[in-house]
Amino acid sequence: MNAVGFAWRSLVRQPARAALGVLGVAAVGALLFDMLLLSRGLVVSMQDLLDRGGWDVRVSAGELPGAGLRVPNALDAAQAIVDLPSVRAALVIRTATAQIDRTAGPPLRASFQGVTTLSSASDGASLRAPWTIMRGRDAERPDEVVVDGAMASEGGLEPGSEVTIRASCVSDLEALPATRLQVVGIAEFPFEATDENTVGGTLDALKSACGGNVGEDADLILVTSTGDANGTAAAISAARPELRAATNSEVVGRLQQTGFSYFRQISSVLTTVTVSFAVLLIAVLLTVSVNQRLGEIAALRALGFSRARVVQDVLAESALIVGTGGLLSLPLGLLLASGLDRILKGMPGIPAALHFFVFEPQALAVHVALLVATAIVAALYPMRIVSSLPIAATLRDEVIG
Amino acid sequence: MGTDRSTQSFGSFGSFVTFGSFSFGSFSFHVFSVRVIALLVLCVVPAVVSAQDAPPPDILVSRHLAESEDLTVGSIVRLGTDAAGTGAREFRVAGIYEPTPDPARLGVVPRAVRLHLPDLLELTRSVDVPAGAEYVADVNVALVNPDEAQAFAQDVNARLPGVRARPSGEAAGSAGPFRVLERFHLAIAIVTIVAATVFLLALTIMLVEERRETVGVLRLIGLPVRRILAQILLEGLLVAGVGAAFGLVLAVASEQLINVFFQWRYDTALVFVRVTKDVALTCVTIAVPLGASATVVASWALLRRSGLRLARR
Repeated sequence: MNAVGFAWRSLVRQPARAALGVLGVAAVGALLFDMLLLSRGLVVSMQDLLDRGGWDVRVSAGELPGAGLRVPNALDAAQAIVDLPSVRAALVIRTATAQIDRTAGPPLRASFQGVTTLSSASDGASLRAPWTIMRGRDAERPDEVVVDGAMASEGGLEPGSEVTIRASCVSDLEALPATRLQVVGIAEFPFEATDENTVGGTLDALKSACGGNVGEDADLILVTSTGDANGTAAAISAARPELRAATNSEVVGRLQQTGFSYFRQISSVLTTVTVSFAVLLIAVLLTVSVNQRLGEIAALRALGFSRARVVQDVLAESALIVGTGGLLSLPLGLLLASGLDRILKGMPGIPAALHFFVFEPQALAVHVALLVATAIVAALYPMRIVSSLPIAATLRDEVIG
Repeated sequence: MGTDRSTQSFGSFGSFVTFGSFSFGSFSFHVFSVRVIALLVLCVVPAVVSAQDAPPPDILVSRHLAESEDLTVGSIVRLGTDAAGTGAREFRVAGIYEPTPDPARLGVVPRAVRLHLPDLLELTRSVDVPAGAEYVADVNVALVNPDEAQAFAQDVNARLPGVRARPSGEAAGSAGPFRVLERFHLAIAIVTIVAATVFLLALTIMLVEERRETVGVLRLIGLPVRRILAQILLEGLLVAGVGAAFGLVLAVASEQLINVFFQWRYDTALVFVRVTKDVALTCVTIAVPLGASATVVASWALLRRSGLRLARR
């Protein structure tokens, strides 16, 4: 019988102890797996969100897009950007706060995104706004808008409905007359927070909602390059030094240094704590188990089992506990990750489509490597006990005892 | 002489000023702060250049900005609203302050200056905006009777269209992320406790099994199950109590270590870990009964067997 088979019988002989050991590893392993998913989850998810629209360079007035500063003379800036040879199209986004009147109940507060596309390429103009139409069609005329699903259900809106909007483009203190716009579609806005409502339309629709009082500024200009995003960002920065052009990867990099830092740190700390916890507990379990079976092990040695063989048995036992627990930890970890993700997405201002825990093969590989290391390190001390066991003395003690 | 040592934009700068007391309807209050945020460009100039007739207005600079730009009390700097230095004015650094730690901006070095509100408005006002027509982002109001906050907010909202007043409790939206993080930490703590409990049960089962013969002998000499169980419970309580105390000592010892590391890592005065009485009490309240219960549960199966069977080798 090989070492694994022997270790298996040893575990099966004491099912309660073995089951609890495996369950403990599964719980700790699930937490470890989640921390590994968390360590890069936000980065992967944010990169995916940024890449989803097909816009690979973001131009803003501040260090981070959407940080509050506006691009002055945005249409002129966008035209200058579009004139660059490496640019296929540019999308100017202007955001305003808006109130949507309802027949019953208080008005809904929403963010109104007005967009316009500029392109020198023939296919560039076909690039659309950074939202996905779920029902109906996209807003094309100045009197048309699309709304998000939550607002549609809350306000009883469907494609074809009319809404009364009061938008404030320059200051929240503006008291503007109401404008009636037609809802032509229900859309999904990728960066919309869970507690937020969003209306989308053309820049002309936003101007119409704001009574023409929009100004020349924009919050963001999205750019699609002809292929080389880094080169395009550099070209934009050279052409308009007062603006900050960043590729999607650079935006994620900046976020990593600021907003995502906390989760990376807590993930590192908890990964370390979890692995140490697992090593300590499995080492204690194996040590106590080995100490209880010293007589049995000494008898096996006396029967001809080599020192290496009994060491292998202990290692195999550790591997079986950690391996089985580790396998169980994967579904358990994914389940736990979805619960923890729901908790963290309760943070105000977090886009609904952003996830804190994202599965990556790399995370799984690290998880497996850490569990293998745990099984080996945890077995070191009990392996030392069995390897240095004095056969005759142990058997004599057992008989006398 | 007279050349700028550096020119760089530093993000959001705030301004705070005290106004005095007012009455509004039946409420008495005083405005204690007004907030305007603007992106300014700072240029450091030698003091001799600014030694003009009128002394430049005073500003405060954050410790981080002072360190990065070698600013000291008395330094003369020029602040402008764009990189070209259009309309830049000279200011004197009157003091260096430690910014209030903001967990929401962890990792962001707070390079900021504080100006008197009139100075900031003067600096940032557009040419087409007449003096006195500027607007501020927030006005914080301290009421003589804080219990009237809700009524006061309603009164302001009714009388001043376009202004939104909220009691501080409702306006504290920034606390939202930390409530979520608290729930997240709680969830992780629960998973950790579950894992620890499972391991604890496995260990106690093994330890109890080790004492099988002793328990068998105690049963054979006439000790009732309840008496042995009480002894095991007491032992469990003692071990769990010592374990909890050791855990607390470890937590208190590592508290300072963790804070020092993260404060160094993020260059902040923020306190990351604080072992409070409530936290310690919660830990002990969970750990001690859990440890004692695990011992009793693990022993229960053993004690159901007969003394003879337990004592038999």
